[in-house]
Amino acid sequence: MSLTLVGVLGILLLLLAMFFLGMPVGFAMGLVGFCGFWYVVSFKAAVSMVGNDVWATFSKYGLTVVPLFIFLGYLAFNSGIAERLYNAAYRWFGHWRGGLAVATIGADELFAAICGSNTATAATMGTVALPQMKKYGYHTMLSSGTVVTGGTLGTVMPPSVVLIIIGLQTKQSIIKLFLGGILPAILLGLLFVLTIVILCRVHPHYGPAGPRSTWTERFKALAGTLEAVAIFLLVIGGLYLGWFTPTEAGAVGVFFTLCFTVPFGRLGWKGLVDSVRDTLKISAMVFFLVTGAIIFGRFLAVTRLPFMVAEFAAGLPVSPYVILAMVLMIYLVGGCFVDSLGFLVLTIPIFFPLGMALGFDPVWYAIILTMITTMGAITPPVGVNIYVVKALAPEIELSTIFKSVSFFLLACVVCIVILIAFPGIVLIIPGMAG
Amino acid sequence: MAFLEKMSLWVNRVLLGIAGFFLAGMILLTCANIFMRLVWLPLRGTFELMGYFGAVATAFALGYTQIRKGHIAVDIVVQRFSAGTRRALRGVNALLCMAFFALAAWRIGAYAMNLHETGEVTETLRIVYYPFTWAVSVGCAALSLVFLVELLKSFLEKGDSEP
Repeated sequence: MSLTLVGVLGILLLLLAMFFLGMPVGFAMGLVGFCGFWYVVSFKAAVSMVGNDVWATFSKYGLTVVPLFIFLGYLAFNSGIAERLYNAAYRWFGHWRGGLAVATIGADELFAAICGSNTATAATMGTVALPQMKKYGYHTMLSSGTVVTGGTLGTVMPPSVVLIIIGLQTKQSIIKLFLGGILPAILLGLLFVLTIVILCRVHPHYGPAGPRSTWTERFKALAGTLEAVAIFLLVIGGLYLGWFTPTEAGAVGVFFTLCFTVPFGRLGWKGLVDSVRDTLKISAMVFFLVTGAIIFGRFLAVTRLPFMVAEFAAGLPVSPYVILAMVLMIYLVGGCFVDSLGFLVLTIPIFFPLGMALGFDPVWYAIILTMITTMGAITPPVGVNIYVVKALAPEIELSTIFKSVSFFLLACVVCIVILIAFPGIVLIIPGMAG
Repeated sequence: MAFLEKMSLWVNRVLLGIAGFFLAGMILLTCANIFMRLVWLPLRGTFELMGYFGAVATAFALGYTQIRKGHIAVDIVVQRFSAGTRRALRGVNALLCMAFFALAAWRIGAYAMNLHETGEVTETLRIVYYPFTWAVSVGCAALSLVFLVELLKSFLEKGDSEP
């Protein structure tokens, strides 16, 4: 049997284990990678490889950034920072038609700047914003989609766990990826706002205007955003200026979040324990996802499949953008069935070398993949954010949430097209940092 | 069976508690290093200790994460099968995962033993690091124990008991 065929069979076996046994993605990648390596090389080499890779990955300094940024996100989640952000955005935009939805996106954008998880962002904003929008008579066709899709900003806006994983898997600078994510996240947020404005113009009853706040109330509420802005400036500014490594930036962010919240009673013992437990759970999941991808990547490497795919695609007589469109389509469809982070980790060993062979800039390509991955979090049937919002508001029909999300999916597609047409939007800030 | 399940939960909860302390240690160590770098000299060996602390924190959380079904899995196909088929597939899944993590635990444990015997030390602090390697081995063994419980449950329990 040729090595290429072994590689293809390995991928089929992996899909079989994932879909028909319900095996966790990271474990399936590790197990199939081990079996494949055993078949191609030897049992002894495969056992050694698994032992070495698990230990080497878990003890890697580069990966310690993951628990720290996840912890930062959970502290922000459990300490009420999101409520103050939402209140400020509500005071400023609440009197517009659809203003509460705009306020949700604004607060999402700011919250995402300190929280690296899309589900945490969606859950936080869902808790805060959904009752408010219900109170002011917002239609669920607008409110549910706003909360579900607003959460995706957490994936693109740094610090983002997805960007960290891509950086570690592709051996790129996490700092550059973080900086590259800032403008696309702002652009995506603006496109979401535009979607809300258009929806409210076509269906005025979707988002009736709320009460107007006084200027005193607005500026008073603005003070509530200071801690989030300070944490973001410290973390991302410190990275940009070269004061900290990404791991140090995460630790400093955690330290200052604790300083801003614990002494003022905003984060109690329960919130702290919950944050630690959830951080460890997510970190363990991410660590083994990365480990599994490394083991599976080693198996694929001995079959030379990723290189052959890259060489084949690069040699096709079509524009690299046609191949990019096909890759994005695979991510979009794959993201509908496999959790977006899992699918990304699974496919990076194949599609990243392909992107490089096509001559794309690695930072730009990583951001484009992140953007398309975020869409996986809001597309049925596996879109995790949809179920987070459904759990928060069981009275909203799933079909309503799906319909509502579809308006915003268009904004995501437009954003990706703009980033492909104008790569400078991604590359300008990393370029300035040198 | 109930005893084994309780023991698995207890072991993994204890490991999670220890993991929490290592997470706190990571934050304190990094902040202390930044502070010392500003006022005097950076703390020696921070990088290597951070890696080891991270290894213990996450490896000790592996089993608890599986108990809480926190590892990303795709269940849209499995959910369409009958309860009996689902139970059988869960059993196969648990058996494969249990064997895989037992193998990983054994291999990492053998590596730790080798590090112990040869007296291998870290590059900067010159301290032995085999205890951290053992910790990762224990984390994998604890995860294997969780899958053993899942395997037994898939055989012994009637009906579909998927949480």
